[in-house]
Amino acid sequence: MKRQTNGSRPVKLFLAVMGDEKRQNISIPLFAICLSLIAGALLMVLLGKNPVDGYRSLLQGCGMLMKEKYAGGKGMLTDFMSYLDIWTPMIFASLAVAVAYKAGLFNIGVSGQMLLGGFIASVTVGYSDLPGIVAKPLVILVCVVAGALAGSLIGLLKYKFNINEVVSAIMLNYIFQYVISFFILTFFVNPITRQSESVGENARLTLQNVEIGGMKTVVPLGFVLALGAVAVTHYFIHHTRTGFELKAVGANPKAAVYAGINVKKNIMLAMALSGALSGLAGATYYLGYLSSIQPKTLVSTGFDAIAVCLLGNSNPVGILAASFLITIITKGGMYMNSSIGVPQEVSSLITGLMLLFAACGVYIRARLARAADRQKQEEKSMASAEDGSAPGQQAAEQTRQEEVQR
Amino acid sequence: MDEYIVEMRHVTKRFPGIVANDDVSLGIKKGEIFALLGENGAGKSTLMSILFGMYEPDEGEVYIRGKKVEVFSPNHATAMNIGMVHQHFKLVSNYTITENIILGMETKRRIGGFLPAVDVASANKKVAELSKRFGLEVNPTQKIEDLNVSMQQRVEILKMLYREAEILIFDEPTAVLTPQEIEFLLDIIREMRRRGKTIILITHKLEEIKKVADRCAILCRGRLVGMCDVAETSTKQMAEMMVGREVSFAQEKLPASFGETLLKVEHLSVNNADGFPVVNDVSFSVRRGEIFAIAGVAGNGQVEVADAIAGLVAAAGGRIFIGEQEITDETVRQRNEHGLAYIPEDRQTWGLILNFTLSENLLLKRYYQEPYCVKGVLHREKFDEKSRELIEAFDIRSGQGEQTTVRSMSGGNQQKAIVARELDQNAPCIVFVQPTRGLDIGAIEHIHSQILAERDKGKAILLVSLELDEIMNLADTIGVIYNGQLLKTAPAEELTANEVGRFMMGVREE
Repeated sequence: MKRQTNGSRPVKLFLAVMGDEKRQNISIPLFAICLSLIAGALLMVLLGKNPVDGYRSLLQGCGMLMKEKYAGGKGMLTDFMSYLDIWTPMIFASLAVAVAYKAGLFNIGVSGQMLLGGFIASVTVGYSDLPGIVAKPLVILVCVVAGALAGSLIGLLKYKFNINEVVSAIMLNYIFQYVISFFILTFFVNPITRQSESVGENARLTLQNVEIGGMKTVVPLGFVLALGAVAVTHYFIHHTRTGFELKAVGANPKAAVYAGINVKKNIMLAMALSGALSGLAGATYYLGYLSSIQPKTLVSTGFDAIAVCLLGNSNPVGILAASFLITIITKGGMYMNSSIGVPQEVSSLITGLMLLFAACGVYIRARLARAADRQKQEEKSMASAEDGSAPGQQAAEQTRQEEVQR
Repeated sequence: MDEYIVEMRHVTKRFPGIVANDDVSLGIKKGEIFALLGENGAGKSTLMSILFGMYEPDEGEVYIRGKKVEVFSPNHATAMNIGMVHQHFKLVSNYTITENIILGMETKRRIGGFLPAVDVASANKKVAELSKRFGLEVNPTQKIEDLNVSMQQRVEILKMLYREAEILIFDEPTAVLTPQEIEFLLDIIREMRRRGKTIILITHKLEEIKKVADRCAILCRGRLVGMCDVAETSTKQMAEMMVGREVSFAQEKLPASFGETLLKVEHLSVNNADGFPVVNDVSFSVRRGEIFAIAGVAGNGQVEVADAIAGLVAAAGGRIFIGEQEITDETVRQRNEHGLAYIPEDRQTWGLILNFTLSENLLLKRYYQEPYCVKGVLHREKFDEKSRELIEAFDIRSGQGEQTTVRSMSGGNQQKAIVARELDQNAPCIVFVQPTRGLDIGAIEHIHSQILAERDKGKAILLVSLELDEIMNLADTIGVIYNGQLLKTAPAEELTANEVGRFMMGVREE
């Protein structure tokens, strides 16, 4: 009796906190976040900084806490709006990863698809003099179509030639990156910035220098679209026939065949949708947050999105929360650096740790399941060993627990 | 006792929930061909895996050349000159024959006197010579991926010979071969006996044993039930020992009343992934109100027949009809809609999506129909309503009702869920493959009575089963499949279990 209480009380407590399988969907990512924040705090202590100041400055940098002083015409709202501006493409990109993931596909080409959409929209609409009311929707349309085509290409390669989507996506990333760089450097380069020429204000999805309450700020129109995309994706995955088929293909392709679902069609569809969402990420990044494209680089958003998707359990609402958090750390990192001198790398480190711990989620889940099993077994053996006193009660309790677990 | 090269005394091996070998004692003489006969799951492979060191017995001892085996590992077995050809070959497909054979015991040479390297050239020569000596001709530099199954098997045999194995274990070596290839293999086995090797042949095919073996041990449900001299025992007697077990309770069965022919299969052929024909010119038909059972030992093509009817594998030839409708080239969904329900053999791989809820799985074939789906939007409340109805009707037990993740349900309840879903299709034609595999008595009885109830409703039922009892209890008509061909089709009352058992072994009518 004593031996057991000694060994298993923390385990029991941990099990109780983490809850059953359904609750673990939330509790495991939260656990990962806590661990990484603690690790980040330790890191700051090692650097001789106060972690409380550090984390406060992260929030201040994103306009969620008041800074001590602001430059003229700027305020908390300015910071918060520019936070929304960079959060927007992250939401789209993470949704793109999630839609593919639901169908059992890993879209590592989000960054490439973003670039393709952003580039095509820049050269077709961005440099035109169309009125804003026409140009802005056109940018979105062009990006969606370009991204969807790039995504379907990966899907096509997968189902026609059985080429692993990870390999083809990585290769296409390089192809997009260098071919587009060639065109930018040859035709569209700005000789001073060495980037592509800025797109016109008419085509930009983020309004610049808008005055609200005496403060100059940006207004990311794409953010509203992103919130809409979260809702639509959620509805699509959980409530539509196509979403159901997509999930079935991802969860068990053989059973999907058996149920009469067209697996190939669904692979194409999932990649096209994923690509379209990547295109939206590209639109809000290259023609919203930025106005030009830097040649020969891929944005990290598409790769961070994989992590966000993981942390958010590939659930659109979870993704909204996870991208919110990760964007705070990446964006706030700049202010943390300038205000209290914690190197910006620390914020990247915290993000990295978060992803690392989130990736351990499967492992943690397996360990929890095993610990729960062992606990059950111990209780069982205890109940049989103590024939008489209170085993009946215990057994009843245990079966109740079992039922709950099931 | 010294005459035995291998002796196993009171060997018992348990796996969770099953006793694979129960107090088995046997001795194998040097230089004989010793056959191990038994049905699927009788414990033949487990017993030989113990000898080859892959498992340690829970009880009992193993003696090799009179010495007790202390350490169980394949490496030790190899060191004691024991070799095994597994049922599923263990070869590296993009290596050459020689590279596969020498893998793990490469001859080394040194380039320029110091750089170590594998001496492939001399190994090639050695392999060529070895293959010639035993009549197993191969081209040592060919890659495994370019070889057919029978050539791959040769490589496995050569691998044992290269390691100077004296005791050679063959696990179901003929399962993947054509009749001509089987003849050739049996010749090779005889040749090896002539050279003084001891051969252990695991099989469930009587004719092979009759052809080559000296002695034969018969296993049934983990127990050794007989040991005989092959020359003095008829295949009939062996078959009886193998299937001769008490027939369990018989279901109450109403007299049959057959309607018109519903499911018709004409000259069906199916190839496996390697392009090897596993079903060959099979024809049969099932009438309304009839249970047509396909009996046969596992791996004789019966599952492929069912899969071809369901559309999970393509037919290489022949035609399939439901009523007047030809379904040979239809999609899975079209077949379902034309009145086919299918309970697959592997319920977790094919029949269910384990991470989906019970409700979603119960609607897996109806989710797109009204009222569950209207204009592309799912109506979950209708899902749940229907699921609760099915859960009630089929007594499916689960922790959280229709919201339970199927993965967490017991095997019996998973199977009930599949049966519930398929019977709910109300399809006129139902295919059951191994519907009671791995279930306990209660669940088996339940499913049997459901099959009979469907028959009495006038459904055409195709039942594929490895359990002879099940077939004898349920079938109206029995077709025995052997090597991808229907060997015998007859009304159930004209056949006894022993006769069916013999046909399953490939014994033809005299």
